[in-house]
Amino acid sequence: MRRLVLAVATFALLAGCGYSDTEVPAAVTPEPAKVTPAPPCDDTGDPTRSYAPAGVTNGPTIAEIRERGFLRAGVSADSYLLGSRNPFTGQIEGFDIDMVNAIAAAIFGTAQGHVQLRVISAADRIPLLQSSELDIVARNMTINCSRWKDIAFSAEYFRSGQKVLVAQDSGIRSVADLSGKRVCAPSGTTSLDNIQQIAPDAIPVTAGNHTGCLLKFQNGEADAITGDDTVLAGLAAQDPYAEVLTGEALTDEPYGIGVNEDDVDLVQLINGVLEDMRADGSWQASYKKWLQPSLKAPATQPQPVYGR
Amino acid sequence: MTVTQAPPAKAEKRTEDVPGLLSRWQLFAVLACLVFAALTAGIQALSWNANRQAANNTEQLVRVQNIQSTLFRADALATTAFLTGGLEPPEQRAEYDEAIETVTRQIAEAAEAQPADRDALAALNTAVTDYNATIAQARANNRQGFPVGAEYLRTASTGLRNTAVEGSAIPIAQALVAANAERAEDELGAQHPYLILLPGLAALGVLYWVNRQIASRFRRRINVGLAAAFIAVGVLTVVGFFVAAVQAGNNNDLEDGSYATSYRESTARTAANDAKANESLRLISRGSGQVYEDKWVVASQTVEDNASSETLPFWADYVAVHDDVVRLDTEGQYDQAVKLSTTDTTLDAFDSRSQEVIADAGFETTDALRSGNTGILVLAFFTLAIGIAAAGAATWGIGLRRREYA
Repeated sequence: MRRLVLAVATFALLAGCGYSDTEVPAAVTPEPAKVTPAPPCDDTGDPTRSYAPAGVTNGPTIAEIRERGFLRAGVSADSYLLGSRNPFTGQIEGFDIDMVNAIAAAIFGTAQGHVQLRVISAADRIPLLQSSELDIVARNMTINCSRWKDIAFSAEYFRSGQKVLVAQDSGIRSVADLSGKRVCAPSGTTSLDNIQQIAPDAIPVTAGNHTGCLLKFQNGEADAITGDDTVLAGLAAQDPYAEVLTGEALTDEPYGIGVNEDDVDLVQLINGVLEDMRADGSWQASYKKWLQPSLKAPATQPQPVYGR
Repeated sequence: MTVTQAPPAKAEKRTEDVPGLLSRWQLFAVLACLVFAALTAGIQALSWNANRQAANNTEQLVRVQNIQSTLFRADALATTAFLTGGLEPPEQRAEYDEAIETVTRQIAEAAEAQPADRDALAALNTAVTDYNATIAQARANNRQGFPVGAEYLRTASTGLRNTAVEGSAIPIAQALVAANAERAEDELGAQHPYLILLPGLAALGVLYWVNRQIASRFRRRINVGLAAAFIAVGVLTVVGFFVAAVQAGNNNDLEDGSYATSYRESTARTAANDAKANESLRLISRGSGQVYEDKWVVASQTVEDNASSETLPFWADYVAVHDDVVRLDTEGQYDQAVKLSTTDTTLDAFDSRSQEVIADAGFETTDALRSGNTGILVLAFFTLAIGIAAAGAATWGIGLRRREYA
């Protein structure tokens, strides 16, 4: 009898505890995104040349914007000092946003209530302008010849350049010191190639955007971040242990406001706004407010080039 | 019991070793009764255990589904608090902390309850700790006004759901839900009335055959001891069959009833909180939030497919608010959209009603499985005891013939 009970109990035990372990699901590797190289460009003229303002304050595009009641601008919300969301107010603010507001004010008399900011990624900039979902893009966008094939640009409103951000006590003093170090840049940009030309043994690390690189930098997954000095200044301002290497920039990055290629009247209006900002000192005021404390150097507004 | 009239004993049979044959028949009859008793009681013990395990697995399923829903709820609270701007409202912070505490406590309870889940739960625990740490970094940066805080939040939120990295919380929670649902459903379906008939019918066949052999050699059609054993085995088999059949029917009803309600409502609650987190992420991303809106639509469909009739009206209330949020956002009234999204309480109403439905349905399932389940175990012991008694009766009955012969 005792044996039987024992047998039944064993039976029951076997039936109850015989579950196989719940497996931790394995990672599903997504298809890597394809990076399409920029189309070759045969325009040998200065890429920063734009349409002369010629006093245009009206035109089909501007009329359309006025009728709609607000200007649709594509901006960044995580490029501190250029365009970023202020966590205290929830508002997006920065140097690029000042440009947007100045343009809206030129169209409506005041920017208040006449701006719709749309946070976009770098990859969205050109497609959203081409599909006319946005009127302008003010998102630290470099003017270059191949982009002019897809969209139009305002005159240059800021001259940036590629630099490197490192930890203060890292011992890295120049780009050449990056050999063997992990350098982070957003995926799909060419800035890592520029670094590897000088320090071929630098280890590339990518993130979704520059703020993602700062996250990796703070978590010890990257030793350095490369990108435009304006963007790096914004990152350094968020981390007391980070600094931007001084010295010559690796590249020239002339920033322009992106516009649909057909909206020439809007480009002309924007160029007029930029001239006004130079004249009334509001460009300087904006630079001093946002960028000068971190870039630690005064700057002057670039001289416009016209002739398209 | 129908036994034909035994033919008169023939003279040539006298040369048989009748005592030897009697011993052999006795052995057959006793073995038949004992094997019947052991097998039937064994099957009954298994079905008792299956019900017990079904109840335990259902409880574990409710627990891991709650972990999953609460994780999404924590994420929805974190993202919504972030959207508010400035300092996090203290009550929202407290709710988030409570959600994380619930998750950690339930992970410990779940690991205690099911050893087979331990490795997965340990991995889940690590993922939740990582998530909570990243949210803390987001909060710390946010308090200083640094936009990198938003990046930490997004990283935490997407990391929670990321299938491209091994050890993400939600894929593990999903695996736990799937494994426990399978276990619970397997055990619910582990009642086999026809299986219980087999040892009974076999034993009855053997007893019938032994009785016939004896009847053919003695002038009695029916051996009293064998007849008693036959009746005992027959009654136990019939009772066992009916009890198992009723239990199988009840379990089917449970699986389609309260068990399904609990499972589906949990699925709905998980999706509902996922939807709310995606609404906040949409607003945090402002104009490029379409990717989150698409996820919201998928989650909303899951809620509508799974929520019970008691919670669906609450969901409809929330959907109406969400539609307003989307309308305000697309019309350029972003601030109003944020205000509506962060102050609205319709999702909380859905969540708490949903929790009640899950708790009630889960309890109903486990209660139904546990109440009366002891009866099956008692029946198994009776089967064993009466089976052994039947073996005794058969021994006694054949013993009578042996004495008669001697």
